[in-house]
Amino acid sequence: MAQDLNPIPWGAQDRFQAHFIVKTNHDVSEEDFLVIPKLETKGYFASKRVTGVRWKGGILADALNSDAELESMMTKLSYDDAQICIEPTRGSIRIHGKWKDSYNFSMTKELFAVYDRIASYIKRLLGSPPVQS
Amino acid sequence: MHDSESDNSHPMNKNEEYCESLKKIGIDAEAKPIDTDSLEKENYYSGHFTNTPAMVTNHGIIKLKGSHIDEVQIIQKG
Repeated sequence: MAQDLNPIPWGAQDRFQAHFIVKTNHDVSEEDFLVIPKLETKGYFASKRVTGVRWKGGILADALNSDAELESMMTKLSYDDAQICIEPTRGSIRIHGKWKDSYNFSMTKELFAVYDRIASYIKRLLGSPPVQS
Repeated sequence: MHDSESDNSHPMNKNEEYCESLKKIGIDAEAKPIDTDSLEKENYYSGHFTNTPAMVTNHGIIKLKGSHIDEVQIIQKG
């Protein structure tokens, strides 16, 4: 019997994602909190760098666009790490990046600071009290 | 004898492994046992993006303290 040249992949793959969750405890407007960044870049392939960020989406995008410090923090990230997606699900808002293999699946101080800053805007818009760190 | 695992090696869940990497950068994190949080029973994606995977594996939740982020969920594709 001939071997299939294009086997269909099945089962768990070596691709991981960490979702950074802000609990809302109630459903929120998807239009307001569904946000993705449009990255301005320089260079190609391995030398591709982020030079600017414009957030697209609802009121959360407006808040993130007004923060120059956040943009500055994101330009220090790699192109892959800067592709951050924010999406509301039932009872929570999830912030996550791209899929990573197990070798590269870890967190850096710089990336966590960006996620935490985005989460602070979400909490502010939800009217939650500020967190003492 | 030599190909057996060392007595010091402990198999680690992916969320425990990620929890350790968070602790290393100074974040107060605690891995919870799998299937103990209500968020694990909800949808993990909004479904608004075309690249949402059809099937994922949940590896559990990590609880954070002193951060605006409440929890971290580890997900594997497939």
